[in-house]
Order: sequence, then structure tokens, then C-alpha cells
Amino acid sequence: MTTTEKLKKILVEELNLEELTPADIDDDAPLFGEGLGLDSLDAVELVVLIQKHFGLEIKDMDEGRTAFQSVRALSAYIDGRLNG
Amino acid sequence: MPPVAITGMGCICAAGQNLGDCMTSIFSGARAPAPPVRFKSNHPIRYPVFEVPGFPEDPAMLRTSALGLHAVREALSDAGLDRQTLAPLRVGVCVGTTIGCAMSNETFCRQAHAGANPDMAPIVQIQRSNPAAVIAREFGLSGPCQTVVNACSSGTDAVAVAASWIRSGLCDVAIAGGADELARITYIGFIALMITDDSPCKPFDRNRKGLNLGEGAGMLVLESESVRARRNRKARAFVLGYGSACDAHHLTAPHPDGAGLRRAIAEGFSTAGVSASDLAFVNAHGTGTPENDKVESRVLREMLPGVPYLSTKGYTGHTLGAAGAIEAVFTAACLERGEIPGNAGFSTPDPDLIATPVREVTKVAGTIALSESLAFGGNNAALILGRGETP
Amino acid sequence: MIGRDSRIVIGGVGVAGGFGCGVAALEQALRGGEVRPGRMTLPMPDGPVEIPAFMSDTTPLKDFIPLRTLRRVDHFSRLALLGAHLALADAGLPEAERAGLGVVIASGHGATGITFAFQDSFINDGDICASPTHFANSVHNSAAANISILLGATGPSLTVTQFHLSVPSALLAARQWLLEGRVERVLFGAVDELSRLTGHYWHRQHAHFAGIPSPLHTGAETAVPGEGAAFLLLSRAQDADAPGYCTLDSVTVGRKLPPRPLAPPVGLLVLGADGVPETAARYAAAAAGSRIACYTPLYGSMPPGPAFDIASTALALRSGSVFATPGGSSCDFPATVVPGGTPLGPGPAGILTLDDDDGHALVMLGRIRQPA
Repeated sequence: MTTTEKLKKILVEELNLEELTPADIDDDAPLFGEGLGLDSLDAVELVVLIQKHFGLEIKDMDEGRTAFQSVRALSAYIDGRLNG
Repeated sequence: MPPVAITGMGCICAAGQNLGDCMTSIFSGARAPAPPVRFKSNHPIRYPVFEVPGFPEDPAMLRTSALGLHAVREALSDAGLDRQTLAPLRVGVCVGTTIGCAMSNETFCRQAHAGANPDMAPIVQIQRSNPAAVIAREFGLSGPCQTVVNACSSGTDAVAVAASWIRSGLCDVAIAGGADELARITYIGFIALMITDDSPCKPFDRNRKGLNLGEGAGMLVLESESVRARRNRKARAFVLGYGSACDAHHLTAPHPDGAGLRRAIAEGFSTAGVSASDLAFVNAHGTGTPENDKVESRVLREMLPGVPYLSTKGYTGHTLGAAGAIEAVFTAACLERGEIPGNAGFSTPDPDLIATPVREVTKVAGTIALSESLAFGGNNAALILGRGETP
Repeated sequence: MIGRDSRIVIGGVGVAGGFGCGVAALEQALRGGEVRPGRMTLPMPDGPVEIPAFMSDTTPLKDFIPLRTLRRVDHFSRLALLGAHLALADAGLPEAERAGLGVVIASGHGATGITFAFQDSFINDGDICASPTHFANSVHNSAAANISILLGATGPSLTVTQFHLSVPSALLAARQWLLEGRVERVLFGAVDELSRLTGHYWHRQHAHFAGIPSPLHTGAETAVPGEGAAFLLLSRAQDADAPGYCTLDSVTVGRKLPPRPLAPPVGLLVLGADGVPETAARYAAAAAGSRIACYTPLYGSMPPGPAFDIASTALALRSGSVFATPGGSSCDFPATVVPGGTPLGPGPAGILTLDDDDGHALVMLGRIRQPA
């Protein structure tokens, strides 16, 4: 499974996006506000989920904000850190 | 609304184990947050907290309730009340807390998680530790007994509930305040929310990163005018008014315009019959989290321009359910002294915040002050206190 | 100031429990006189254990709130939201009126299910993997917060916990707000859930009674645990004939039993006795000589029980006659169990709640003339 696929599965299952399937999520859709409609509490949950599933620590939200733009941006961030 | 007299106060927190020691300590500017001593965490970062050092554990009750009882003993003694003088009176108890009544215990949960049959002793201890009930039991009180769990505004709300009981004649004397222990579960939870500072907290400062947790209790004795006249007791302060309102916005984030806080302050003013220009100072919530301080400073600037304000959380940490009560006690004690301490942790003004707190010990003119709390779930509470009759 | 003439009216009732969902379901249970407990399964060291329990289904909540909006809302808050929406719908309160609502919630244990889940999150994966969402939802006032947010209720909010006296203690606060004129209406509710955690406590501390509870017998334990939500829409009314179920005349909460007789003379005293032996003898002493009823066998033993007692009594006051006490008229102490169908006089009805810590509470409800 690619990082993108794994991420989408995590988003749907762990953030309980009830009516969505991973395939419904557009790689470039914004995660927050319009788009997936996530909020500040989801943002900190996402930090924990990335720690739990990828073993990567995001130390503060300034770092998170850039990575959390979209699924594509977050996948690139995760792959960059895992391979870096 | 008619004022309600406060005839006794007690306080325990990292700044001291009684009110006198707390005031001496915070006016000296002292503070010493350090990583927790009473529990461990496998989190890679050790976040500083404000623990009450050397406070003995009581196997009969949760630390929260023991801290509450400690402050109640001081407050009753300050009011000149003991078991005997309380016996013929209708005495109510209203205590705010957050974790003190949560029916959970980590040891129990870990054992259950591991498939064992956990020891029930911690659960029995919790069942006997409702902080208001512990106080009512200890002193054999017969009035209404209520534990308020309004997250971080609990202590402020509890004082107002008790004042309402006195005003309406439901009781002669009410013991009111808040208590909360520093607990591992809360410590981990606040770290997870990413609103905890890994250095000493810096309320309203440009470089603030979050709060430090603390623990303690603040207690006040409220008394009806008829009982007070019979006992010939002077008031140390008065509860003049109170307001509260919910943001109805988000579980953990304050309303960006501070809508609920504005309504709470407005109701506080209207019930007290005062306006912004009557205030000597504001004891702000000022947790040191980026969002809280931003919203709060904006509301203070717009509603209370020019009124000096400070957060005392730089000296106590955020004591959660106890915070509003400890800060009410500090507010009353500062009105007595006619001065407020500096806002510990503040050094660099934040260009995003349009108001700044006082930096050092500041004389204040006036007899009325506001103590405010913002809480999880969007609760906002504003308590208006007036100076008492003691010299 | 407290106005002498203002009355408080219960204008809407919203209930969800082992008997089903909504006022009609409660009334049907009261008329039928029996609700069979369901079962809950607990994972225990020697394999799963089933215990009898009155469980509550929150599926009907989807009629009020889209599922997507509920994605972070746990069972505890869902129960509360269901009770809240049912009470507002029952009262016919227009949506525009919700903004000014005060919200007062009573809960004995809080969101124990999510509290356990939060601990699971860091026990499994280390402290750094603790779930902030679970933590935020485990705060004791989470139900009140979710209600305020989803209803847009921007009035004051208060959550009270006093174990078995949570309901009368919180109701006292709601009443004060109305009498002081802080708000025109209070959405009052009681909620507790049977989670893995509270189920475990029950399993370890109580007999596994599998029949129908008989709380007016003071011998062996016959309690069955319950979960649910009972909500009331309270409002001030100047008009003595304001529409609603009944009036909320007084709330008395205290400790140490006052000298008997505890209750003023009432047409009906509804007991919160729930088959737990620790309090049975105290109910027997306090209610001796009274005309009594007890409905806890329809919803089980739980801190919100007294709110269901109030809802049941409110239904009786509106209908004008008493519902039969489930299990018949036999009682181990000298009191008169009022037969079903007995007309209620003009006098008030009382709801008596006692705990095992010397606490007592009496809530008095009065009749209002119902439109023909």
C-alpha cells in the first residue's frame, strides 16, 4: 500500500469520516476547512496518528500546518522524512 | 443583586499551603515549575508542572478531595467557624473540580486492559471522594451539596452557585470553591492537545507555547447577612455579581471573537450593577496557550480598555477545576492589599495581542475586580468581587 | 431577585432508556408495567460475562443530526443529544428559541466509555500516542458542550455530579437560574452510560440479578443497571395554566435525614428505590406511612434515575391518574402502594431520592389544568 493509500484509510477509519471511503478523498483537496472539513482538534489527532502509524513525531503545529495542506502534501512529507 | 459576604478564605497550590504564604510568594515573583515528581511518563519530553510539594497522600480519599479539605479548614478557621458553631446552621457545600470525580483509575484500567481482575480499592476510593460530599461528611453539614464539573471554569461557577444559595435563603453559610490534583491522565491529555509549554508558561507573551498544569484548591466561606450580624463578623470581600455563557462553538477552541466571554462579562456587570470604569483590575484566565490569550486579550482591550490585568497562572500553573476558586481568593486578597503582582512569564509583547498585562507589582485604585475563566466546551464565567470591610 | 409569583413549568420531556425512546415509549412502559432487561457483555479474565442491563439505543438520533456531524461524538454524548432533541421536539420549541437556552446536565459518572478508550490509547502505544480527541470527549461536561454546540445554545451551561443525588442537585441549580431570571428556559438533562468501565464496576460490586427488580422489598439485591438520558424543558410561566406537563414547585437537597415525616403530605410520593440494599432501609424509614409508587424497574439503576422518576410523575400529573407500580402493590414496609388508575388530587406529587451517604432530596411537582 502506498503512503497515500495508507493515509486515506487512516483518515477515514480513525477520524470516523462516516460516509466517505478512501477512494472518495481527492489527493489535492484541502484537509481543513472546505474540502474534508477537518478542524483544530483533528489536526492534533492527526499528529498522534502519524506518530502511531509512521513513527514520525511532529513537534509543533507550525511544522504540521505545512504538511497538513492535503493528502498529497502529507504523503510527500511522510515519505520525505521516512526516506530522508 | 445584593452582595454576598465572604468571611473566610483558604488556598493551597504550588505557591504556598495557605493564603498568606501564597500571597508572599507571588508578590515576591517566585515560581519554580518542574517535571512531575508524583508520577512518570514515557513521553520523550518532560513538561514542567506546578505540584504542591510535600502534601501527604490520604489513602481514604483522592488527593483532589484532600487538597479541598485542607483549604476548607483554613477558610473556616479564617471565618471563625468550627464544627460546633456550624452545627445549628444550614450549611451548603459547592465545589468545582474536573478529574476529582472521574470514575477512572489508571492502575485499574491497565489491569483490566491486561486481562486481569483489577483491585476494586481505587474505585471504592473514588466513590467516597466526591469533593463536595467529603467536606459535608467531614463537618457533618446538612445543607445542599453540589460538585460542579464545568471543566476549567468549575471553580468560578461553584462560587456563584453558592452565592445564589445564600441570596435565596437556601442556606445560612456556604463553603464554595474548587479543587483539583495534578494527575497523570490529565498531564498526558494536555500534552496530546499540544497546548502544553515545555518551559515555564508565559501568559500573554509573544513566545508563549502553552500552559503548565498545576494543582491545588481555593475555598471561600460565604455567609448570610443575618448570621454574619449575629456573629458580628466583618466581610473580607463580597461577591457582587456573576455571569456565564457558552460559546457553542467548539469542544476545545474558544470562539475567535470571545463571544461567550463578552456575554459572561456583560451579565457579571449587570448583576453587580457596575461598569468597566469601576474595575480596579482583572484577574484574567491567561493560561499561556496561543489561542486563549489571543481571544482574552482582545476582549479585555475592547470591553475593559485601560483596566490593568494579569494572569496568576504563571505562579500556580493551570489548576483546572480549582483555578477559578484560587483566582477568586487571590482577587479578593489583592483588593485587600490594594495591589496586584506582576504577570509572571510575560516579557515580550505580542504584536498580535492588542493589550498587555502588568509586568510588576502594581498599586491599584478602586474596590471592585473581575476574575474570569474560560473552559473546555466553550464555557466562560465572570465573577465580580468587591473589597470587604477589614482594614 | 426571586419572584414569588413566577412558576416553573415542565413543558417538554425527552427520554431514552431500556424501555425505548421518547415519551410515548415511556408512557407505554408505565401502562404495561414491565420492561424486560437486555444484556451487556463484558470482557473478563475468564472469558466474556453477560450481565442483565437496561441498555439504550441511540440510533434514532440520526433523525435529528446528520451522522457526519456526530463523527467525534461518543455514546455518552449521543445519549444526551437524543434526550435533548426529544425534549425540545416534545415541547415544540422553535429552532430560533434555542439560542437563549440555559443548559444544566446531571451525570453521576460522566463519559466513562471514552475515558477508558483514552487510557487504552496510551496503554497500547505509549504516552506520546494518547488520543487528544478521546481526551477532549472524556471531560465531564462533554455532553453539555456537545448539546450547546449542536443546538447553538449560547446561554449559561452547568454540569453537576453528585452520584445518586446528581439529578436533584443539578435541578436545584436550574431552578435557581429560572427564579433569578437569568434565563427564560433551561434544558435540563440527566445522562449516564453503561460502558465497559461502569459495567465492570457493576459486575464486581453487585449481585447479578436476572429478573425484574422489586425495589420495594428490602431483602436481597434485585437491582439491574441501566443507562439512558432523561431531559426536561423548564421554563418560567406567569400564567397558572401555561401549557405543559406540570409545575416544578420545589427542590430540596440536603444531608442527614431530617426528623420524620420527611415529606410534606403529598398525594403521591415516588421513590427512587432501585433494589440496592444499601438504600432500601433508608427509603423504608423515610417513606413509611406515605402513599407511594416506584418506577425504577422500568429503566434500571443509574444516577439519572430520579430524572426518569420526574418524567414518569410528570406524565401521571398530566394524565390525572397514577401509573401502577411495576410488580404489584406488595411492599416490605408500612406504606400504601397507590393502585394504577387512582385519580390524582389537586395536591403536589413528590419524588424522593436518597443515597448511601446520608443525602436526601425531595422534588415537588404540581398539577396544571389541562386543556379539555
